[in-house]
Amino acid sequence: MFTRLMTAIKGPKAQPVQDWQAMFKQWAKEAPEGPLKRYYEAGTIALDTPLKEAPLLALDLETTGLDPLKDEIISLGCVPMDHKIIRCQGAGYWMAKPERTLNAESVTIHEITHTELAEAPPLHRILNEILNVLSGKVVVVHCVSIEREFLREAALNVYGFPLYFPVLDTMQIEHLAQNKTPWWKRIIARQPSLRLDACRQRYHLPRYKAHHALTDALSSAELLQAQISYHLDPEANISAYWL
Amino acid sequence: MDVELTEIVEALCQHAPFSELADDPQLNDMVKEVEVQYLRAGEWAIQPGILNHTLFFIRSGAVEALSKEQKLIRRMNEGELFGYASLLRGGKFSQSMRAIEDSLLYRIPARWFLKLYEENDSFSDFFELEQEVRLKVAMESQSSGISLMTCPIVSLLRRNPITIGIDGNIRMAAKMMADNKVSSLLIMENDILVGILTDRDLRNRVVAAGLDYDTPVGQVMTVDPVTMDSGDYAAEAVLKMMEKNIHHIPILKGSQPVGVVSTGDIIQAESHGSIYLISDIYKQTSIEGLQAISRKMTHTFTQLVLADANTQMIGNAMSHIGTAFVKRLLKLGEEKFGKPPVPYCFVALGSQAREEQTIKTDQDNALILSNHYDPKAHGEYFEKLSDWVCKSLDMCGYPLCTGDVMASNTLWRQPLNQWKKYFSDWIKEPKAEALLHLSIFFDLKGIYGDKYLAKDLSRHIRKEAKANPGFLTFMARNANQRKPPLGFFRQFVLDGEGKQSRTFNLKERGIAPIIDIVRVHALACGSDKLNTLERLEDIDNAGLLPDGRAKDLALALEMIGMVRIRSQKDQIEKELVVTNHVNPALLSSFEKRHLRDAFHIVERQQEFIKFRYAGKRS
Repeated sequence: MFTRLMTAIKGPKAQPVQDWQAMFKQWAKEAPEGPLKRYYEAGTIALDTPLKEAPLLALDLETTGLDPLKDEIISLGCVPMDHKIIRCQGAGYWMAKPERTLNAESVTIHEITHTELAEAPPLHRILNEILNVLSGKVVVVHCVSIEREFLREAALNVYGFPLYFPVLDTMQIEHLAQNKTPWWKRIIARQPSLRLDACRQRYHLPRYKAHHALTDALSSAELLQAQISYHLDPEANISAYWL
Repeated sequence: MDVELTEIVEALCQHAPFSELADDPQLNDMVKEVEVQYLRAGEWAIQPGILNHTLFFIRSGAVEALSKEQKLIRRMNEGELFGYASLLRGGKFSQSMRAIEDSLLYRIPARWFLKLYEENDSFSDFFELEQEVRLKVAMESQSSGISLMTCPIVSLLRRNPITIGIDGNIRMAAKMMADNKVSSLLIMENDILVGILTDRDLRNRVVAAGLDYDTPVGQVMTVDPVTMDSGDYAAEAVLKMMEKNIHHIPILKGSQPVGVVSTGDIIQAESHGSIYLISDIYKQTSIEGLQAISRKMTHTFTQLVLADANTQMIGNAMSHIGTAFVKRLLKLGEEKFGKPPVPYCFVALGSQAREEQTIKTDQDNALILSNHYDPKAHGEYFEKLSDWVCKSLDMCGYPLCTGDVMASNTLWRQPLNQWKKYFSDWIKEPKAEALLHLSIFFDLKGIYGDKYLAKDLSRHIRKEAKANPGFLTFMARNANQRKPPLGFFRQFVLDGEGKQSRTFNLKERGIAPIIDIVRVHALACGSDKLNTLERLEDIDNAGLLPDGRAKDLALALEMIGMVRIRSQKDQIEKELVVTNHVNPALLSSFEKRHLRDAFHIVERQQEFIKFRYAGKRS
């Protein structure tokens, strides 16, 4: 209760400004030869690039569970966009065969069957392709930790070096936007839900069936557009928003 | 990599025309090129003056179309498409599109739209026929669900027909009628209906004429009476009775009579008392008496609406009643001011002439005088008569015309030759602005006096119009002045001005535009009809419209007219001022949806006459 009160009064802590371009240069030096090194060498946008000029890629992963050290990625969907338009033309969807067997619970959530996964290639075979798609993009996700940590682990396993990418997190944006309301109201009101579906409803976006990686990617892409038109400044530097 | 944007495919397939393409593998290919765009309320989807290369699908939210002048043309919601009109015209777009709610739009590239339009008939049909077909189906389903005009005439028959052979004599006939307690008898020869004998015939043709009771019925019967088919609607019988001034109609099934419908049956069927109202009007000898009757008119009107009469029947009944008032008043006027010094014809204009009057319509009338008219000698008489008639009509519930188009205005009380000159001038040198107000003069019907004067004038108008095609261009342009309040939904209101801001005017924006469109075609084909539906028949026969379009216009008129009279009935019941305005929030979703379709038809047909009578292109 106390922390909630404090956050309500002070607002969340300000994030330090991140220079992803500089970090990419550093990682390009450190990464072993191979696809991942080339990914870092391709670089990313400067921190003073306006949001409206940033090439974005909405991304969603479905996994066998929530622990990046234990669980695995089983599908991945993405759709390119900018601050105004989502382009289905570049949409991508992959399934990956997990090394360990699926438990029944995650099968029911994702509606992906064992048979489908059994026929899919293992993650390391498709990771190169995914790097190509991610290259140069600011990645749009709902809840940064899942995508960031699972892909970091996957790259560590495959290339022996972590994969990083700049992120616009629609959950974080929503959290900040909701906290714009005066603190006394925030204390009285119930903390607003930050689930993807709940956030979308706030912007009158239609309801989708959740838990398909491509639909969820599209879902967060649309949410970001709505958030931009309500809360963000397309002229502002990308560094004001990326994580 | 197998990319399937199921969310988008499924959303598209829930709505026509994409629902038709659900099994077409192309659809998936198309979706891969779709772009998604979120618009906040107030943001533009298509900005004014910008070329458009996209077909828009409204996934959620609502969008409005605005004209160049920023006037609201229509509103669209989830599942609707827009932008296609400009794609068919190479990108040029006269309308702009703006989100009025937070909206999610799918942008489909022009090339996909054009490809499907080209290749797939059901897809292109959707854009061409959608509204028309939907409306037709709607009207049909409505008539089966609700009893609109569906009371079949056989349901009024209470007994088998009472017949007598043609050889029977009058005494036998009268006894048969008395025994069976009927007021009419059918006369048969070799099992075929050849005549009818009624109470009135016995009185007028037998007793009053002093005929021998042994006279064969064949000598006094009405030969070849007006009959109707058992499949006809009761409503049509009412119209026939009023039109022919008869009280009995034999009903046939094939060639065999199955019964007789009398005015009594119809009144008992709670249709209405307009026939009696009319005969009452003719019995009155004073303004006060006529005023008393006029107060019953709202009741007659609501009765008609409750009896599910269609707009054609109501228009017909109300016009007949209106005409009866005029005739009676002129008779009384002639008694008051003396016999007219020269022949004249009192003409009804506009809705009364077209037999499309509703409740509480302004009077629009004029006087055609014989060419022997001399203003010095006869001017005073006709001025007094016209003034008195117009004022009396006002007292009987037909308000004075705000545009002063009345016989009491000297301008509109002129000899035939002057009238011909008026029309020749209007037709040869049309001024669009002036014609807009004058268009009602082109619906003109002599209702009292020397009707030849009116017929002569009508012939003159038809001749002049045919000889001056440029005039049709002007009329077509005029018919495009009043635009339908295209599309509305939920709580949104279109006609947003003044106190009536939550309503729009059905007459101005729906009914009048249809009448205008039809009038242009009618003039083009030289039709001598006045009633809009009868004109449409002539137009259809003359082949001026593509197949089915005349029917569409008739349906649209009926749909809009129906909503108007129902709303007027409600206004009467709630003791409100009767207007042509309706509040869309008070309409059923059925009415809203199909009203919108009807307005789409009007818009399209307005567009059509613009090109059809475009005149010389520069």
